[in-house]
Amino acid sequence: MTGQPCLLPADGLGSRRFLALHLPCLATDRIRRAEPDLPTDQPLATWAASGSRRVLVAVDQAAATIGLRPGQALADAQAIAPGLLLRPADPDGDAQALQTLALWARRYTPLAATDPPDGLLLDITGCAHLLGGEQALLRDALTRLRRAGIAARGAVAGAAATSAALARARLDNPVVVSGIEAAVAAPLPLGPALRLSPAMLADLARLGLRRVRDLLDQPRAPLARRFGQELLDRLDAVTGQRRTAIRPVTEPPDLSVAQDLLEPIITRAGIDAVLDRLLATLCARLRAAGLGARRIALLAWRVDGVVQEVAIGTGQPTREPTHLRRLFAERLERLEPGLGFERMTLEARATEPMAAGTQAGLGIGGRSDTAAMAEALAQLLDRLAQRLRVHRVAPVASHWPERMVAALDPHAAVPAMPAGWAAPGLPVLLRRRPEPLKATALLPDDPPSLLHWRGVAHRLRWAEGPLRLEPEWWRAHPDLQRRDYYRVELASGVRLWVCRTGPPEAARWLLHGHLP
Amino acid sequence: MSSAAPDAPLDQAAVLAALRARMARLEGSGRARGEAGPVPVCERLPLPDGGLARSALHEVLATAPGCGAAFCALLLARTGGTVLWIASGRDELLAWPPGLARCGLAPANLILVRAGRWPDALWAMEEALRCPAVTGAVLALAWDTNRQAGDSRLDLTATRRLQLAAEAGGALGLLLRPNTADPAPTAAVTRWRIGPLPTAEAGAGLDEPRWQLELLRVRGGTPGGPWAVTWRAAEGRLDLERGETASAARASRGASA
Repeated sequence: MTGQPCLLPADGLGSRRFLALHLPCLATDRIRRAEPDLPTDQPLATWAASGSRRVLVAVDQAAATIGLRPGQALADAQAIAPGLLLRPADPDGDAQALQTLALWARRYTPLAATDPPDGLLLDITGCAHLLGGEQALLRDALTRLRRAGIAARGAVAGAAATSAALARARLDNPVVVSGIEAAVAAPLPLGPALRLSPAMLADLARLGLRRVRDLLDQPRAPLARRFGQELLDRLDAVTGQRRTAIRPVTEPPDLSVAQDLLEPIITRAGIDAVLDRLLATLCARLRAAGLGARRIALLAWRVDGVVQEVAIGTGQPTREPTHLRRLFAERLERLEPGLGFERMTLEARATEPMAAGTQAGLGIGGRSDTAAMAEALAQLLDRLAQRLRVHRVAPVASHWPERMVAALDPHAAVPAMPAGWAAPGLPVLLRRRPEPLKATALLPDDPPSLLHWRGVAHRLRWAEGPLRLEPEWWRAHPDLQRRDYYRVELASGVRLWVCRTGPPEAARWLLHGHLP
Repeated sequence: MSSAAPDAPLDQAAVLAALRARMARLEGSGRARGEAGPVPVCERLPLPDGGLARSALHEVLATAPGCGAAFCALLLARTGGTVLWIASGRDELLAWPPGLARCGLAPANLILVRAGRWPDALWAMEEALRCPAVTGAVLALAWDTNRQAGDSRLDLTATRRLQLAAEAGGALGLLLRPNTADPAPTAAVTRWRIGPLPTAEAGAGLDEPRWQLELLRVRGGTPGGPWAVTWRAAEGRLDLERGETASAARASRGASA
């Protein structure tokens, strides 16, 4: 994702390990996943208009074997394969699918990145042993992708570009040790290894340069002059001479705990049980680290390769499992298990230092000290804020009624009341939109003597005013007009706050508030 | 009661008081948290405990929006802690803190909650009442729309839940709803009706509005009223009017007899 920092390997290149996944038929696999009724024995391709021509954009395995390839004219392709299934190309949808797959790949490592248009890059340094080694991890990833209906090839190497080149150029899913990047890259064909444009590939081929090895044998300066620095940069990346960064799809969480499930779980009870276990572990780790969580996300990996996420936020750092449990309870209904979840992860996305003493179990009826009360209140506000609009009010030193209060975060401290803020004679309820009224006054500037409100004429016992309010010219919108406020009492005793606004010849009356 | 000496001559009043206290403890209503007693309403009103019991739900039927909101605000202010004002539905009327502050409810103690859907509003009210850090909460029903709908949803089950939550948490729960002719029974401990009364002279109603208070229902007591009261905002006092004192005293004697 853009806007997030690149993560360069902190230590030497040799110590990092990268897994690259190449998804050659992502566009068509995606269509087959979305439309499961498509006959599997017929070739499938996507097309797009290129100028006045209509050309193939992506083809699946079956179409490739009968000689169809991207860039071919649509008419030619239909002549070759009359039964060809066609769908319009959707590059945005493909990019979205790749992004989703990168999120899915976070089951293996927090550092998962997309490698557009059809690849994923995973920094699996230190993660491989969890699945029994790099070979096993690679096999696991490929198996799961295949089960989800996505063809994939993979490779593991000590440099990101090398592993990507191996995944694209070799069919045997190799795992190569670090330090021999140049040797393993040398025999690879230039096209898939360096991902050059067809025009440049043709130029290179005219010079007899077809493999990485051929380029390595050439003097560098003439190559750079002839083909630009970018070619050399890519070459250096593939041979491990130049570090490349990967850009993870999400920032790695501060802390995370995961649970793999032998049987996919579908029921709410099952999800609850897993969540309980994860919360207990995460909170224990938070306590050990002296941290409290502000944002926590529950990630659920579905059997069919979809990742679902439920996130909560708290106003104060917390590591109280029962409290977090209740916050999640409001949100869990958004999960759609489908065929079941096979893995769940709990991530603390934002944490803050938290002293050991401030952690108080919410003892029901037990503790009554102020710290425990403040915490109980914070937890209540967290729960309410998951569903509803909750806010405190900040008094604002202003005379304009709509500006006298400002919404504050419920956990924020409320500033002191300015002088004259709670003046006598102010209404306790204010109308969101002032309601138009009709009023009769003896003289244009007189207080009203009769109010027509909702079709009923009310005789006034008394009216007091006017309280003339001018708009705040230093901030107000130019269309605001001065208001003359009157406090009136109807014959029934009901007390209202009405105002007259607009120019004297076209004055309008508004009901703005209700007095005690 | 073990504290009452068994061999002492039977003092009917003391025995009654002890039994009442025991009942209250059994029911859980009015359980004082710390030393906080019931919330005072007005000195001379004949209420069983001399005020509104905490840890209980009370219902306020208002014939006009302004007086009902002000009455709730001053009761909440007297709980002396953090209070929640929960507005349900898409109401045109917003609780306005400058006016509420005049009723003693400082912005520092006030948390506003807006719940669009009725189940959310009930849930929020229940959570608030259950929280030991909250001393009071009001659930204000939408004034303008769906008056009947709000009425039917505020049934015995819903209010019973709220009452239980208040008993667990110790907060003063208030239900502020528009007045209806024949409100359905609820599990609230008391039910009040409040309406505005005309003030004696122009301007006097600004800071000293007159209300008509009526105690329609009270658990363990006798309903009473209507009483004419004056809210003196400057002193923060609710005064029973002079002419009403005698009838209130009569009612109070009747209640204790």
